[in-house]
Amino acid sequence: MQQVAITLNKRLVSGHEGMTVLELARETGIEIPTLCHEPYLKPIGACRLCLVENEASGALLASCVTPITPGMNINTASPRVIEHRKTIVRLMLASHPDSCIVCDKGNRCQLRQIAAGLGIGDTGLEKIPQPAVVTEINPYIIRDLSKCILCARCIRACQELVVEGVIDYCKRGFKAYPATFGDFPLEKSECTFCGACVAVCPTGALMEKEKPYQGTTRTSVTTTCPFCGCGCSVRLEIKDNRVVRAVPGRDMLSDRGALCVRGSYGYDFIHSADRLTTPLVRDGESLRAASWEEALHKAAEGLQRARENYGPDSLAVLGSAKCTNEENYLLQLFARKILGTNNIDNSASMYQEATRSGLGASLGFPGTTNHLGALEQSEVIMAIGTDTAVSAPQVAYAIKRAVKFKKAKLIVIDPRQTKLTAFAQIWLRPRVGTDVALLNALTKVIIDEELMDIEYVSRKTEDFNVLPLSLEKYSPEFAETITGVPADDIRQAARLYAAAAKSSIVYGSGIAGREGGAESIKALVNLAELTGNIWCRGCGIYALQRENNAQGAADIGAVPEYLPGYKRLDDTQARRKFEKRWQVNLPLKRGLSYLQVFRQAAEGKIRALFVVGENPAVSLADTELAREALSSLDFLVVQDLFLTETAKMADVVFPAASFAEKEGTFTNFEGMVGHVRKAVEPPGESLPDWTILLRLAEAMEKPLPFANLKHVMEEIEELVPHYEGYHYEEGRSGWEQRRDSCWESLNGFVRFTKADFLSEKRDTAEVPLTLIVKPSLTHFGSGERTSRSPRLRFMPPGNFLSVNAADAAELSLCSRERVKIVSAAGEAEAAVEIDMQLPPRIVSLPVSFPGIDRLFSLREKGDHSSLTLNTCNVRIERIAKNV
Amino acid sequence: MAAGCACQTTEEKSLPYAQLDEVIAKYRGEAAAIIAILQDVQELIGYIPKQSIAYMAEKLHVSPAKIYGIVTFYAQFRLAPVGRFNLMVCEGTACHVNGAKSLTRAISDELNIAGGETTEDGMFTLERVACVGCCSLAPVIVVDGEAYANMTPAQVRRLIGQLREKEQSAGEAQIAKEEL
Repeated sequence: MQQVAITLNKRLVSGHEGMTVLELARETGIEIPTLCHEPYLKPIGACRLCLVENEASGALLASCVTPITPGMNINTASPRVIEHRKTIVRLMLASHPDSCIVCDKGNRCQLRQIAAGLGIGDTGLEKIPQPAVVTEINPYIIRDLSKCILCARCIRACQELVVEGVIDYCKRGFKAYPATFGDFPLEKSECTFCGACVAVCPTGALMEKEKPYQGTTRTSVTTTCPFCGCGCSVRLEIKDNRVVRAVPGRDMLSDRGALCVRGSYGYDFIHSADRLTTPLVRDGESLRAASWEEALHKAAEGLQRARENYGPDSLAVLGSAKCTNEENYLLQLFARKILGTNNIDNSASMYQEATRSGLGASLGFPGTTNHLGALEQSEVIMAIGTDTAVSAPQVAYAIKRAVKFKKAKLIVIDPRQTKLTAFAQIWLRPRVGTDVALLNALTKVIIDEELMDIEYVSRKTEDFNVLPLSLEKYSPEFAETITGVPADDIRQAARLYAAAAKSSIVYGSGIAGREGGAESIKALVNLAELTGNIWCRGCGIYALQRENNAQGAADIGAVPEYLPGYKRLDDTQARRKFEKRWQVNLPLKRGLSYLQVFRQAAEGKIRALFVVGENPAVSLADTELAREALSSLDFLVVQDLFLTETAKMADVVFPAASFAEKEGTFTNFEGMVGHVRKAVEPPGESLPDWTILLRLAEAMEKPLPFANLKHVMEEIEELVPHYEGYHYEEGRSGWEQRRDSCWESLNGFVRFTKADFLSEKRDTAEVPLTLIVKPSLTHFGSGERTSRSPRLRFMPPGNFLSVNAADAAELSLCSRERVKIVSAAGEAEAAVEIDMQLPPRIVSLPVSFPGIDRLFSLREKGDHSSLTLNTCNVRIERIAKNV
Repeated sequence: MAAGCACQTTEEKSLPYAQLDEVIAKYRGEAAAIIAILQDVQELIGYIPKQSIAYMAEKLHVSPAKIYGIVTFYAQFRLAPVGRFNLMVCEGTACHVNGAKSLTRAISDELNIAGGETTEDGMFTLERVACVGCCSLAPVIVVDGEAYANMTPAQVRRLIGQLREKEQSAGEAQIAKEEL
């Protein structure tokens, strides 16, 4: 890019072509006050505060919208500039209320900061009276239009950053104000309460409504959000050892300018009165408070006893995709070294195993191949099996931005209507569970019509020849009979995907969390490989993760089939390295998966269990199995924030610290390692998970050789490939795995694999409808944290069974009628809601629906890869009305 | 993109969707032509129903808030149907100095509506305009293309009464005709 040199405050500086004067000034370290400017948003030059003088021409320019041009002689603080700037601020203040002293924005108010900076106290102008105009009242946002300066930051954040477009200017001139369509309150609009508008508002016009503290805090800590797999950077503001506000973090790599409702308002659980504050031990029927010594001793004793009586493989550790990398590392070490078993897994595996085997088989590395910034550069994005706006909001923002502002074309493959379908150029609605056939047909069209990237295929891939033969029968017409998607639509989608130079694929648990998920993923990879879209700018395969550290927990080896860094248990060389470092003989037998642990516990083969940060008694799709398993154990240790249903069944409960009370790292779905930093002290006697693990190891008389967290990090760096150099250094902002070297590790080649469509030959005469579990923005995981964040309960997902209008008519159901939902596993009762958007034969229930678990059974044979966790077959029965 | 208030109102059912589609097709679904589209819709329906905004937003791939912003920005667009009689009070310079404000106030008081609003019975709309181009008649009110010159508040009230009577007798005549 061409360099342009200008004179800036008498110094000659140069910037690249297209840069604005403001950008260059800030880069040079010259501060120019701004109000409407926001780095993430397109500049509009509304507030005029950033005026500078071009002394070459004598013109006053708004620096935020003025590109640098050769020969400019800019003075950012000439007497003229200062005079004008002061006048602008005086005029603003003259029509701004005098309520600064009680305004919650306090010292965070940028108008006040700028006025103070310019030394403006009394404006010397007649005031326009501004009575407070509080117009929006909901638990999230309070709006006082009298403080609005019409900078449009909220409007632009809503339109450009999160692409909801809920608000825009209404009316004009003096009467203008930001408003929703029809001036309806936000809760009646499409607003998701992501908080982006509040975070960017420079004055007190938009503020958090229900907040624990009024005013400006002195301390804040930038850490990583603990909810979904996006791993956004979030800044926690702290007052008196309480987290009182969460705003988008501004000094980390995963900073993306906006959060979602969970990130902005979901932190309330940290200070819930339900938090465990002391260790608990079982005393007959109940649990009683105990000292750490007693609890640790009891736990050590119980685990030892089971180990001695029934052998190491009668024990299992269930780690957590919510814990840090360091804690997961210690957990797998605890299981393998101290207990002597590979029985270590976490619940995210149930969704992730398909990715591990699907992506792993083809790419050699089971993870997303590129970062979110690259996704936004794509020309075509294919989103399949993901309600991204709910499960990974930040990814949805990126997709919507790409479509809206960068002319990307979106292909959505999903039977459900989601927020993304409105942005889609092509929306294919295959029957539930027929993705492989559809994807194979897409691949076949690309091969048959010679749309593939022949150079890439011949130079960078292997085993191409397996493909044409395995796809022989998957003509679009054949796929139509299976999937219900018109053959022509399949052809169109294939052509669109293949024609673009840069295409990306995003998939979620709609693919990964169901039977044959690995096959679908292989088919997806084939598509990407054929067109050379694995890893380059604007290309990639994005495997979304449900939980914040699902990727990290697997990377770090807290899974039954891999040692850290996806080293296979039978890889002798790797084993030797770990054995030498850990000074132990590692168990060879593959461990039990998350689900197998419960099945075997129910059969009495697992005798003792150590559960960290998981609540299977509620979160396992089949809770009956979980409860039966947990109650058949000889000994159960639970480590959690709350006295969960699982913890209530435990013999020993350790109180753990939340993400805001400890240090460590989370790895998000992109492979970005975000820092978790301590913001507040843990409540009572609770301790960070890693400390508890070290103390438990000590109590078992097999101490682990780590004096502090830094030692753990150093060992991870040393032993886990892809994590070299990741560890936390003061002042460094996050760390990204070098994915290019990761996935090419398989001979530098990626390979094609056959993806088989296993048609589910189930007898569905009895259960003709497919039930889809609908995810929710405000209910996360087992709901332990989100249900304890009062503000998230404000938008409860309606607890209704959504039924398509045609199906409802056939069953003569009316709205709000209570019905019985019957599956092979059990039944539940719900009120009906007619949903015009659902395809026929599909019904849906929100994930938080009480009793939804009764409809699922995980007792059948088959492991994670053959499970379907988000759909099941049901029938609906009318309940005879009481007379 | 479902609009926030996608409840099925009678208004929604009575929207002339086919004609709306024609208007949108005329401008090839270009969101950039939104003002021209809105003008055509107003021509078609007489005003811009909120439901039509939601419908257009979906078709044009823009947010309904954006269209709402445009509709409220320009004085030419109306969000509510105009009444049987549109009372245009001229508030241009000549009318202003001759007391146009008192005419506006008289209508407001008499009908309990503000500028731009319509009475509940749908009979009258009060519209305040800048200049109707007959300053020598100031202050002037224009109703159904007819200019009423040198008005006073008392005359305005009388005019309203006359218009109402006229409408009623027309209505009765209609009923009588139907009964015959």
